Amino acid sequence: MKVFTDIAWGQWLSSGFLLVLGLFLGSLAGRSVSRFMAGRSSRHHTVMVRRLVFYVIVVLFSIASLREAGFSLDVVLGAAGILTVAIGFASQTSASNMISGLFLLVEKPFEIGDFIEVDATLGEVIGIDMLSVKLRTADNLFVRIPNETLIKTRVINRSRFPIRRLDLMLGIAYAEDVERVEALLLELAEKDPSCLEEPKPFTLVTAFGPSSVDVQFSFWVPKERVLEGRSGMMVAIKKALDHAEIEIPFPHTSVYAGSHSEPFRVQLLGPGTNTEKDLLDANKDS
Amino acid sequence: MENNNENRRDGVWGQPYALASGQTQFHQLGHIRLWVTLLDLEWQIRSETLELDTDPASWTETIGHTLPAASVPLQRFVREKQSSAVTFVPAVANLPTVIRPYQPLTIPAGGRCTIYVGTPVWMKVCVGERQTMLAEVPLALPSLTWVGRNTMEGELCYSSTSYARMVLEAVPKRPWRAVTPVTLINRRSEPLLLERFSLPTPLLSLHQNERGQLWTPGVTVEVETDMNSASLHVDQFLLAAAGTCRPVADAREKLARGRLVRAFDRMFG
Repeated sequence: MKVFTDIAWGQWLSSGFLLVLGLFLGSLAGRSVSRFMAGRSSRHHTVMVRRLVFYVIVVLFSIASLREAGFSLDVVLGAAGILTVAIGFASQTSASNMISGLFLLVEKPFEIGDFIEVDATLGEVIGIDMLSVKLRTADNLFVRIPNETLIKTRVINRSRFPIRRLDLMLGIAYAEDVERVEALLLELAEKDPSCLEEPKPFTLVTAFGPSSVDVQFSFWVPKERVLEGRSGMMVAIKKALDHAEIEIPFPHTSVYAGSHSEPFRVQLLGPGTNTEKDLLDANKDS
Repeated sequence: MENNNENRRDGVWGQPYALASGQTQFHQLGHIRLWVTLLDLEWQIRSETLELDTDPASWTETIGHTLPAASVPLQRFVREKQSSAVTFVPAVANLPTVIRPYQPLTIPAGGRCTIYVGTPVWMKVCVGERQTMLAEVPLALPSLTWVGRNTMEGELCYSSTSYARMVLEAVPKRPWRAVTPVTLINRRSEPLLLERFSLPTPLLSLHQNERGQLWTPGVTVEVETDMNSASLHVDQFLLAAAGTCRPVADAREKLARGRLVRAFDRMFG
């Protein structure tokens, strides 16, 4: 019973109260700052300042709370030093992630709201925290990547610059006029409102493939219109080539079933597939 | 879907039109067709963009009861306080507009010239006494372009090809384009080849004269001694040739100083 009466309950209570008050005020101040900065600054800066305000207030109140509880700050710091050495070996990963986090903040390779690609993961940055970076992928998965990984690996920031170049590869049949196809593609770029006039779109013949002449069609779009720019242009290309009766070939495969067996008979069904050009050798022979 | 020719009138900026419940106002203006419908509890706006080879010169409006095909996209808005008036307010482009003369123009060393350019405007559909904006529609589908030193530094702009006419009478006046006089002063000792020029349209206010034409204040660009900078000045007053004008829309962005200095390569190509 004496043990309980010896404890300075009032001191501990006021210490606890200070700690809770610090958390409450820190959270309140953080939210106020966040609301104030929301329309005036980027999402990244808003979150960073909100966190800074929160941590500063919480640390100040924690120090006051420790003093109220009767701890000398020198002793606490000394103990922290010893603890750091003691647990340092056991918490190498955490320490490494924390230091990497600091480097990420200083180097700023990406901000909250940017679309980044780390290894094979592509997503929007929704948080840069002490130990890890959080991503939301396009299919709405939550991905946590340790800061250390981000420092070590190759990170592609897809939102850094306001415009992006899209390179579409398409193959056209050897029988077609390549220059006519190039003119047609450039005309499509001119008509597409997502496609920038400058830098100019261009086409390149990249290879004589096994079944097609490979053409690269490159054009620039604002970073917000990458998906619609790519998809819209591919649909437009397909329509325009169909309209101009330009063939997009597909790889032809011959199936050989051995020297002693009869060749497979292949028949193409559907309208437009029974032209002379489309008939297979097996059909011709029969 | 077609409206009677008898009811067809010229559209006017900034004038409230009163609609009865169930009525639809149809507009053909610039490269768009617009339908505004008033119902008991809601406003409906439908618009479609036309692919035109030539610029239409007129703005017609009709009030009736016909609606377009269901394929035309529809926007619905809650109707408040039984407001039945709809007003159409013009607005300048929200990005700078790059003016590219069909034929480049050379300004000799120490020379100056004034070119008149017409830039397409946006139509704000506003309702009620307080003119609450419901939608904003571009009257010509603008194409985008990039102006800058490289693909990293610069800004996104709308693009507009122009004849860069130097005679005001030769500039076609259309109700959906705003005319801006641009004075270019070349103070350098070398000629200046004007291949393209970025007009800071968000900084310009819109004014309407007695003939219903839209005008913006003039812009003066002074190219200094080196290629690195040019100064830009937005005039306080309108060109005298515009006649008596009344302001119809403020600039989208405020000009912090009377004289704006920008990087040279962001202004010229």
